Amino acid sequence: MSEDYEVEFIDRDERDARFVVRDITPAFANGIRRAIVSDVPTLSIDTVRVIENSSVMFDEQISLRLGLVPLTTPDDYDVGETATLALDVEGPDTAYSGDLVSADDRVEPADDNIPIIDLKYPEGADSPQRLEIEAEAVMDHGKSHAKHQGGVAVGYRHLQRIEVVGDAADWEDEPNILRGVIEDDGELVPTESFDHDLSKRYPGKEVEVHDVPNAFVFSIESDGSLPVSDLVLNAVDSLADRADELEQAVQL
Amino acid sequence: MVPVRCFTCGKVVGEHWEEFKTRTREGDDDPEQVLDELGVERHCCRRMLVSHKDLVDVVAPYQ
Repeated sequence: MSEDYEVEFIDRDERDARFVVRDITPAFANGIRRAIVSDVPTLSIDTVRVIENSSVMFDEQISLRLGLVPLTTPDDYDVGETATLALDVEGPDTAYSGDLVSADDRVEPADDNIPIIDLKYPEGADSPQRLEIEAEAVMDHGKSHAKHQGGVAVGYRHLQRIEVVGDAADWEDEPNILRGVIEDDGELVPTESFDHDLSKRYPGKEVEVHDVPNAFVFSIESDGSLPVSDLVLNAVDSLADRADELEQAVQL
Repeated sequence: MVPVRCFTCGKVVGEHWEEFKTRTREGDDDPEQVLDELGVERHCCRRMLVSHKDLVDVVAPYQ
């Protein structure tokens, strides 16, 4: 199966994108969404060796926080492969995600100023609080733990079309709110451009909103571990792999 | 400490905490505007920052 699908971008940057895909079924659109959320593996800290932790938080709490820090994921890692990171911070200071030092310089925290723990130098203590750890980041799927999800707030909705059906009655001056993307003469118009209010775009008109069949507007946000484009491509590849697997499995 | 991610949607909100704190708690900017500028759009993520209180300083003496 190698059909081509028409994809048109509305917004696009590294972490946020909105695009229209045409000629796919609702089931396939949902398949893509689910693959993005649960089937694209990313690196995330999974095992922590605590060398010293005299902070106010328990080792487990610190480990959980480290696990949630998104790490940039190079494309040559396989599921189960690991990368080593280390962190060593002494008070009075705050340990940030950016203080993590990685053995592989392509694996680094996607955001540098996530506070991990505030370290103090308590009055009367002989030494400052200190956090020294070594951590193993592992490549795994979103379905095994939410920290491995590359996509945050992944969703889709129908592309919509506005039909003017007549003039609005004189007493109707209420806003007519629609959020999403509409298609007007083959042009894609995000509803932000008219403040999500159809009565501003079609003043004095009565309108009906129709879904464009089999056209979906995806809005995808990445946590920074993968750029949105890689996230979507990997998800679609994983769907293709599953389809192949199924084909193999049911062959006589 | 501030949660790293939003409990509901999983967006990383921890990285915005210090800027949010300095501008709204120590400065006098309008929290609504600060959150908009930081790109924290959804109300699930906004409540993470709005309702947070740092307790490390309170607990520290009892360690």
